[in-house]
Amino acid sequence: MSGRVIVITSGKGGVGKTTASANIGVALANTGASVCLVDMDIGLRNLDILMGLENRVVYNLVDVVEERCKLRQALVKDKRMPNLSLLPAAQTRDKTAVNSDQMKKLCLELKAIFDFVLIDSPAGIESGFQNAVAGAEEAIVITTPEMSAVRDADRIIGLLEARKDEITQYRLVLNRIRPKMVANSDMMGVEDVLEILSIQLLGAVPEDEDIIISTNKGEPVSGTDNTKSGLAFRNIARRLRGEEVPFMDMNAKNDTWVTRIANFFNPVRV
Amino acid sequence: MQVFNWLFRVPTGTAAVTAKDRMRSMLVADRLELPAGRLEVLEEELTAVVARYFDLEPETTRFDIQQIDRKAALTANFRLVRSKC
Repeated sequence: MSGRVIVITSGKGGVGKTTASANIGVALANTGASVCLVDMDIGLRNLDILMGLENRVVYNLVDVVEERCKLRQALVKDKRMPNLSLLPAAQTRDKTAVNSDQMKKLCLELKAIFDFVLIDSPAGIESGFQNAVAGAEEAIVITTPEMSAVRDADRIIGLLEARKDEITQYRLVLNRIRPKMVANSDMMGVEDVLEILSIQLLGAVPEDEDIIISTNKGEPVSGTDNTKSGLAFRNIARRLRGEEVPFMDMNAKNDTWVTRIANFFNPVRV
Repeated sequence: MQVFNWLFRVPTGTAAVTAKDRMRSMLVADRLELPAGRLEVLEEELTAVVARYFDLEPETTRFDIQQIDRKAALTANFRLVRSKC
């Protein structure tokens, strides 16, 4: 078996890389695929918290690379789904603990076991980012519609373009969209950001307080049915599997009681 | 006029439009690694070259950078009055 290695990256910190990694991972696993989430943010481990697996971490990625344990020993199986695993980052080391060649080797091993290997990249464009993309064949670029995040995403796209021999495809996830502000022209919308970045869209995720609740519970929203953001992440997972899923119209101008009733019977697609 | 703008939501000067305009010129400069002021120097030089061959209407000269995919395209527009022999 040879799975797909996909790096999730953004340049800027705090735009939702780890949240997206956890949610896309859970959503992909729910479609029946075997998935490994790899936390590459060495020294700033967080993905285990979002997955609710922080108490089950024994070994980590650096232990595997430095051969203190076998790969299988470091993988933490998700408590809800047996086909979803986490390879945690080391918390007490830093980004220099691994190099690109070690990451390439690790990714080869992982894709022999899993259908999808999702790599949660650290913020920045330095060695941590370079290691995170080293073994990847596809990339998901995450940004919010804020200027600083879009600028950093553009820089990342430039770096991914320079690696087009290895990274064959990269698509955008626009996170934390506030449809009302977009409708009032107070904030850039999906079309604006796509036009500026000239990149293919993989998904658009609305700002959603449920994300905070789900992080506190350690249960990614894409695993539950009734949240807007969860639906958006599930649609992203379906698109990753090659399904054509229409994009939701995020325009809040159409938000009237008539459309609300219509949406209740015919839920919106994100 | 304000009522008109409010009624028809004319989107000029809104935060989103301003952000998009600023992003466009910022990213052109970022991608080309273009230092501030460099383009202005080029524009002056180009104008000087064209002005060696033609009389120009200098106030109508226009330079514009557009984004085509992820590349930048520079357009120069000179209004030519007559050739200089």
